[in-house]
Amino acid sequence: MSVDMETFKQFAQMLPHLGENAQVTQRSDAERVGSAKEQFLRKLDNRMAIELESCIHCGHCASACHFYTGTEDPKYVPIRKLDLLKRVYRREVSPLRWLHRLYTDDITVKDLQEWQELVYDSCTECGRCSMVCPMGINIASMVNVMRQGMARADLMPRELMGMEQEQGEHESLFGVGPEQMQGAIAKLQATGIDIPLNKDRADILVTTSVIDLILFTDGLIATAKVMNHLGVNWTLRSDGYEAANFGLLSGCERVQRKSSARLIAAAKACGARTVIIPECGHAYPSMRWEAANDHKQRLAFEVLSISEFLGRELKSGRLRLNKLGRQRKVTFHDPCKIARHSGVIDEPRWVLDALGVDFREVDSGKELNWCCGGGAGVFLINSASDLRQKAFQIKMGQVAKTGADSVVTACGSCRLNFLNGKMRAGWDKEVESLVEMVAEALPGN
Amino acid sequence: MTLLDIARGPALEWSLIIFAAGSLWRLVGALLVRRMTDLSEPRSHSTVAGGMRTVFTRMWPRREFYKQTLFGTVAGYAMHIGLAVVVFLFTPHILFIDSMFGISWPGISNNLVMFAGTVTVAALVALLIRRLTTPLLKMISSADDYISWVMTLLPVLTGMLAYAHLGGPYQTVLAVHILTVEAMLIWFPFGKLFHAVLWIPSRAQMGAAFQRRGVKA
Repeated sequence: MSVDMETFKQFAQMLPHLGENAQVTQRSDAERVGSAKEQFLRKLDNRMAIELESCIHCGHCASACHFYTGTEDPKYVPIRKLDLLKRVYRREVSPLRWLHRLYTDDITVKDLQEWQELVYDSCTECGRCSMVCPMGINIASMVNVMRQGMARADLMPRELMGMEQEQGEHESLFGVGPEQMQGAIAKLQATGIDIPLNKDRADILVTTSVIDLILFTDGLIATAKVMNHLGVNWTLRSDGYEAANFGLLSGCERVQRKSSARLIAAAKACGARTVIIPECGHAYPSMRWEAANDHKQRLAFEVLSISEFLGRELKSGRLRLNKLGRQRKVTFHDPCKIARHSGVIDEPRWVLDALGVDFREVDSGKELNWCCGGGAGVFLINSASDLRQKAFQIKMGQVAKTGADSVVTACGSCRLNFLNGKMRAGWDKEVESLVEMVAEALPGN
Repeated sequence: MTLLDIARGPALEWSLIIFAAGSLWRLVGALLVRRMTDLSEPRSHSTVAGGMRTVFTRMWPRREFYKQTLFGTVAGYAMHIGLAVVVFLFTPHILFIDSMFGISWPGISNNLVMFAGTVTVAALVALLIRRLTTPLLKMISSADDYISWVMTLLPVLTGMLAYAHLGGPYQTVLAVHILTVEAMLIWFPFGKLFHAVLWIPSRAQMGAAFQRRGVKA
């Protein structure tokens, strides 16, 4: 059930044009710097203070970074990506600011422009660097703050700007809004797939993403099949279906809040106790960890990634699967945002175990897994294309060592990046979706 | 008043005051930056245990990172352990601490202390050469790294010279040795030597944050 490469190629041809519709605001340099600094200062807290005070400049974080390892270019050392935030901290917040101001330069628009590549093109916020830092500095979370500062200064890549503006202003992505979504679901329903749309009351609100609507429709169909097989009371709602959050990816907090607000409202409208996030890496932390803080209130429902949900259903015995057979040699790619950032590590392995496939763990897997290079929106950034491919070489090597024929994952962005990397490198591995494999193994399928 | 009198008298008092007040100022100042409350539902509530675990597990890199981190880690440990031996197990130092705070413990032979001092100096030199010749380390290094290096090296070097009665009249070399220690104490709160305090809260808070999300960091 892997996606057809021709369809993917057509999709890929659209990507270089993503930034063309971005509305770039003309602002003075002083305004840009002021906005970026204001955002940094708004976000700096005592956790970041301790971490920014702690760095011993050992450079160990570089060893964990796929962009540094793939290029060996020192400018990609992860901790350096925080330099501007650190400078603002040292001059404005640090207890030693009266001293630091004597020798720490204020940030300039030139700095912001230079750092744009460092916090967008060459950082997927994968967080692997945090796992090696001897001082325990959470670099990825602060790179996100750097992105927020960049976004406030209107200095983000055009591709992400275009997507963020489309989602914020038109409630659509790739031209797919609520109306197109309903059309796409109607088409699937016409093929006999039961997808309960816009139910007034449901226990589970299933969300999807534009990628599942236009490219990985098998993933959406598979999710529907699993839900129907389990006999749960679920729905998909056109007033809150898009799990992808380009506000989070681009650093635009306003759109981040707006996007998660739609899902919260949809869950509230149907009384859902559970919201399921599809195979979309960043979408999971966006709702699971960020949404409550974005809206300054605890969520009235639990948030589960689809792989987490599947694992939980298997463990509880409510879901039973046919064995797909050990002739299928697979490895699993842990999506950084779902595994390392969110602790969903065992659940997909329970699923693979239940599927009875020949599962081969990668070296440096689970919370230490290498990022595929396409996360945090990097897959969509045209200027990051070559850099991304260099990082992907590490992933290819990691997979090759397992001897597996296919890579299973639970993230649409990872799948896109794998397919792109496969296309560019002529790679012979298949790329599979976990939920699609589960649907394939449903009894009676 | 001789140089040694100054070193043992007002210079010592002032350096200790700056060391203590500066350290307190920097630590408390960072901790008092506003705190953000996390309203998301934790996956695990064992955040204290998670934080404590990370304080210890980050003492050694995980196997996956050995290739690039082993040299820095081993040289770092050699330097730190050597320094600890020199500072806390050299009998004259213990007598000095006893005179100041009224606590003491047994020392070790002077030869062993000299060996530890040599290891410390060798490790410091190796780490400096690496910093100066590795492009990524050069890229992230600042004056702080080099000042802190000098501030660490000088007390060890002058102490070894004083012990070996080299470098000039003993009283003068000893005074210089004490003054270099005092310079290090004064620098401590302002540069990266302060990681000697921050490593615990920094690791602990990250371990706790990851534990909250169900990840062993």
